[in-house]
Amino acid sequence: MIKIPPYLKKGDTIGITCPAGYMEAKKVQTCIHTLQSWGYEVMVGKTIGSKSTTYFSGTDEERLDEFQAMLDNKSINAILCGRGGYGVSRIIDSLDFKQFKKQPKWIIGFSDITVLHGHLHQQIKVASLHAPMANAFNGGGANKVYVQSLKNALKGIKSNYKTESYSFNRTGKCIGELIGGNLALIAHLCGSKSTYITKDKILFIEDIGEYIYNIDRMMIQLKRAGILDNLSGLIIGKFSDTKNTERPFGQSFEEIILQHISAYDYPVCFNFPVSHEEENVALKIGLMHTLSVTNKMVSLKEQ
Amino acid sequence: MQRKSFLQLAGLSLLPLSGFSNSSVSRRPHRITIPPYLQKGDTIGIVCPSGFSTMEDIQSSITQIESWGYKIHIGNTVGKRDNTFGGTDEERRSDFQSMLDDTSIKAILCATGGYGAVRIIDLLDFKSFKKNPKWVVGFSDITVLHSHIHQVYRTATLHSKMSGSFPKDWSIADPIQIETINSIKKALEGEKIQYPIVPNLNNKIGEAEGVLVGGNLKILENMSGSISSIDTAGKILFVEDVGEPLYNIDRMFCNLNRSGKLNQLKGLIVGSFTNIKPDNLDAPFGRDIYQIVKERTAGFDYPICFDFPVGHQKNNFALKCGIKHRLDVKIDAVSLNEIS
Repeated sequence: MIKIPPYLKKGDTIGITCPAGYMEAKKVQTCIHTLQSWGYEVMVGKTIGSKSTTYFSGTDEERLDEFQAMLDNKSINAILCGRGGYGVSRIIDSLDFKQFKKQPKWIIGFSDITVLHGHLHQQIKVASLHAPMANAFNGGGANKVYVQSLKNALKGIKSNYKTESYSFNRTGKCIGELIGGNLALIAHLCGSKSTYITKDKILFIEDIGEYIYNIDRMMIQLKRAGILDNLSGLIIGKFSDTKNTERPFGQSFEEIILQHISAYDYPVCFNFPVSHEEENVALKIGLMHTLSVTNKMVSLKEQ
Repeated sequence: MQRKSFLQLAGLSLLPLSGFSNSSVSRRPHRITIPPYLQKGDTIGIVCPSGFSTMEDIQSSITQIESWGYKIHIGNTVGKRDNTFGGTDEERRSDFQSMLDDTSIKAILCATGGYGAVRIIDLLDFKSFKKNPKWVVGFSDITVLHSHIHQVYRTATLHSKMSGSFPKDWSIADPIQIETINSIKKALEGEKIQYPIVPNLNNKIGEAEGVLVGGNLKILENMSGSISSIDTAGKILFVEDVGEPLYNIDRMFCNLNRSGKLNQLKGLIVGSFTNIKPDNLDAPFGRDIYQIVKERTAGFDYPICFDFPVGHQKNNFALKCGIKHRLDVKIDAVSLNEIS
């Protein structure tokens, strides 16, 4: 059984850390103020606006130590990752979840943070939150429904997202544990102990900046790794800034995805608001959801 | 030194346990089928399982291979095109299948890589191939075939340049290019691989004996989790790639490590990583290929050699996947030799 961390109460503390790429301190300010305005204390890690001059927010050891400290610190009730980028895979196997398992807390983020979601779901069996990170609060984002959905999720309000129908959708209704994240990272986790076992679950995927042919290759990897054949349902978010080769691939990413799941009959929806764009609602990984795809609309409802 | 003595101590105290675990994980002896080497007059088929190739693209390989004394059978997919592919999935599958099944074809040379082998690999029927194994030749995207044939069919394959890389004019070709192309001929004719390699200061000294496996890093990651994923325990692994950013090379090595492909190697051969995509200047990755490999293999003590002539470049010597080799990495000399 998946353990659900306690939802947050006023006065609880959210730790912010960057387990992957570097992030300037000024880009986290709106996020901090907003979280405070929601009634939470904020503890900002040293990896935010660190002295690092490289791609990473700190050395592996610095990122690891800070994440570990936040996992172990009983006064921190949730860990919000400042941003993704790349780097969680370098430290995931060095993290110790012993204390966390006793006192689970919400771990929040997306993109590279998919490594944590996969690992938490499969190895630690604790629910986590795929949701906007610090940068999404900037530019007025804090007041929009997507960041607000994170606010609601932290309070324990059950989600019920509705989106419009889309021509590529496959109708149907299903129930299952919700899992997912960034397609490149889900493919990257294949063969490791953090890879999702997807049977009877509802999988969501999104990605950014990928070549169309590589989306095809990653979908085939998922298929060949047994991630697509026993799903309960499939949710496709946005695939932003896709790139094509000089010699065009000849299929859209929607066509590619439908082709690789043509042998299965579960419901599928496209254009769901989960992405690297503003449209990115909070999704509780590990919790039971109902996906309903009709000709008129799509709904994803937490049980 | 401290670490080493600690490990030795731990090794001593755990001796009975480690002996037990060794025997419990020991695998069946690795019986690899070696396809018959080629004899003059044999036929080599040329086929496009991935990207497209025109007749013009493969003409120089035809001329050269015929001059070596072999016949050429040109597959239907040569000259075919479906967007980036050398024909539709069905056309590429059926062409490759007929090459696998045609007993008069002794080797299948892929015209080019690109992308596409993984789209047809599960549709290929290797029944006839198992009875009459033949050399499958290529690299890059063809790593899908190397992995699959090694892991599922336990048959040796040849990792080498393809038709598109044969020099148009042999008389003015770069000597290293000629040597590279000639290495295909030598390998197919059964000459044992003996490559002296220029030592690199980053190498990790040591010697290793094991079955050689490997190919394109991106494809090795792409195989993870599938039936075609290579069990690398006790083997010598080689990797190369082209056009990837450093962070992604690092991530792919993380995948190899986390999917258990690095911890039980006998040796690691790092080929070239060409056309590395530049970092964002504001946030450089801060590690080169040497550092990436060193970090990801820090806990292991097998020999590692860098800048091995395998990759997307002119010096890309033929390597026999599935066959036992000896890798010797000394300070002043490195060599890879086929043994049996």
